[in-house]
Amino acid sequence: MANMIKATVLSILLFWLLAVIIGRVLGLHGNEVDLHQVLANPSWQHWFGADDLGRDILARILRGVEVSFLVALGVTTVTMTVGVTIGLLAGFYGGKLDKVLMQITDIFLAFPGILLAIAFAAVLGPGIFNLMIALCLTGWVSYARLTRAQTLSLRNRQHVLASESLGAKPLRLMRYHIFPLLLPVLIVEATYSVASIMIAEASLSFLGLGIQAPNASWGAMLRDAVRYMLVAPHYVLLVGASLMSLILAINLGGDYLRDKLDIASSSANEI
Amino acid sequence: MISRLFGFFTVIFGVLVLTFLLIHLVPGDPVEVMLGESASMADREALREQLGLNQPLITQFGTYLNKLAHGDLGQSIHTKTPITELFKTRYPASVQLALLSMLIGLLVGVPLGVYAALKAGRWQDVVVTVVSVRLSAMPVFWLGPILMLVFAVWLGWLPVSGMDEPAAIILPALTLGFGLSAILTRMTRTSLLEVLNEDFIRTARAKGLSERAVIVRHALRAALLPIVTIVGLQMGSLLAGTVITETIFSWDGIGRLLVESIEKRDYPVTQACVLAVALSYVVINFLTDIAYRLVDPRMRHA
Repeated sequence: MANMIKATVLSILLFWLLAVIIGRVLGLHGNEVDLHQVLANPSWQHWFGADDLGRDILARILRGVEVSFLVALGVTTVTMTVGVTIGLLAGFYGGKLDKVLMQITDIFLAFPGILLAIAFAAVLGPGIFNLMIALCLTGWVSYARLTRAQTLSLRNRQHVLASESLGAKPLRLMRYHIFPLLLPVLIVEATYSVASIMIAEASLSFLGLGIQAPNASWGAMLRDAVRYMLVAPHYVLLVGASLMSLILAINLGGDYLRDKLDIASSSANEI
Repeated sequence: MISRLFGFFTVIFGVLVLTFLLIHLVPGDPVEVMLGESASMADREALREQLGLNQPLITQFGTYLNKLAHGDLGQSIHTKTPITELFKTRYPASVQLALLSMLIGLLVGVPLGVYAALKAGRWQDVVVTVVSVRLSAMPVFWLGPILMLVFAVWLGWLPVSGMDEPAAIILPALTLGFGLSAILTRMTRTSLLEVLNEDFIRTARAKGLSERAVIVRHALRAALLPIVTIVGLQMGSLLAGTVITETIFSWDGIGRLLVESIEKRDYPVTQACVLAVALSYVVINFLTDIAYRLVDPRMRHA
């Protein structure tokens, strides 16, 4: 079972990676307007058909893959760094600092789902950079929570106490004695969050808050595709299926890592 | 209990501060962004005055709280309609949608979860679990269009979108209920499996009760307790999930109002929508917490 999952995940990810690279090598950017091909069905010329401006859907999907993956990586890096730092400080020092920091995370958690990201993106104005800021502003909370909980339980482990009694400073304790033990949990969490940020990016772009035309993004493509669903159902189906395959692969990859790294229930993705 | 109440109010206060600050996050001059560059000086000043943007931040916050306390959410800068007026039709529409989705989620999720738990370890269980785990990751902007395509466009059974026919609620509710049913399936399965290992189930079996009575009367009653929490927590998420679903299906709820207000840069409406959804979420979660304590005798002293 585990091997099958691993093989599926790897082949889907490899497929998209190769497709993106080949697209790059061939110089596809999916911005060529061809009005003879408006909403054309899949053909040899356009494997996934063409969109409402006659642009090649496959080329635009590949661009969408690239953009959404880069956004997800960027946002994950920032939110993880910030969240882990805050979580470490709160869990390590405890007391008032912990109380204040956790109260702040509580407030952020009081906004359901991506509502807060939508709100931030809305006031910051549309665009890929603002979209990333909006996702960063809301994304650090789960890392902070997770790290704090883990740090609390690691704080009083023997090796930490031993090192402390030998005179190690808090920074050293956190960096060399607590942080390395957090890594497995964080890696798994980061994998899931890449997938969820890709969904969030697509949601925001769907609402017109993300990447702006003419650049391709999954959310914006889906929005157009829904508009032309009656005449060109292949558009919405192919864009959606591509997105889903990638999300699915990343999530399954997360499951695989979780089993491999033997992490007990901790992530929001747990049953 | 007291500390929970305290936490509840600090969170509400934090939500108020954050939504209040939203409008101040607008880069540059919010008035110019809202009215466009061509707006006259007089119009700008009038709006600035109306929104109180020329006052110190703390005064503005005070005014904001004071207005809220009097049930005044401000007004749309374009149509001048009071936002409370807009909410009168929009909010119930969203609640209606969320409730129906919840019902669908429960009707599908709980029986499936029970089924999976009873077949634990067998292939039926694996199929149900794997499918539900992955379906819950299916974003609504993909599921919604597919349902629309199949049931409205191809089969023609249901209206494509809008709110004119009563049947129009079915597709958006299915879209939202789908992910929820997946979550409920997993929760019910886990919870029931846990309960089935308890002593009182063994006792019930030992005294010769039929398997059906053991499951329905003894196990399920205990197993459904955690579901209460999930239902409450998800109710709030459903309200947020409506943003995209309502947009896809042109359902005139609070989510669509939010999106429309963003497109028109009608920030007071945006602010009010965010506040309304967040407050509903916080209040529902708090009530769920209390309900859980009332329902579960073990929690009364915790």
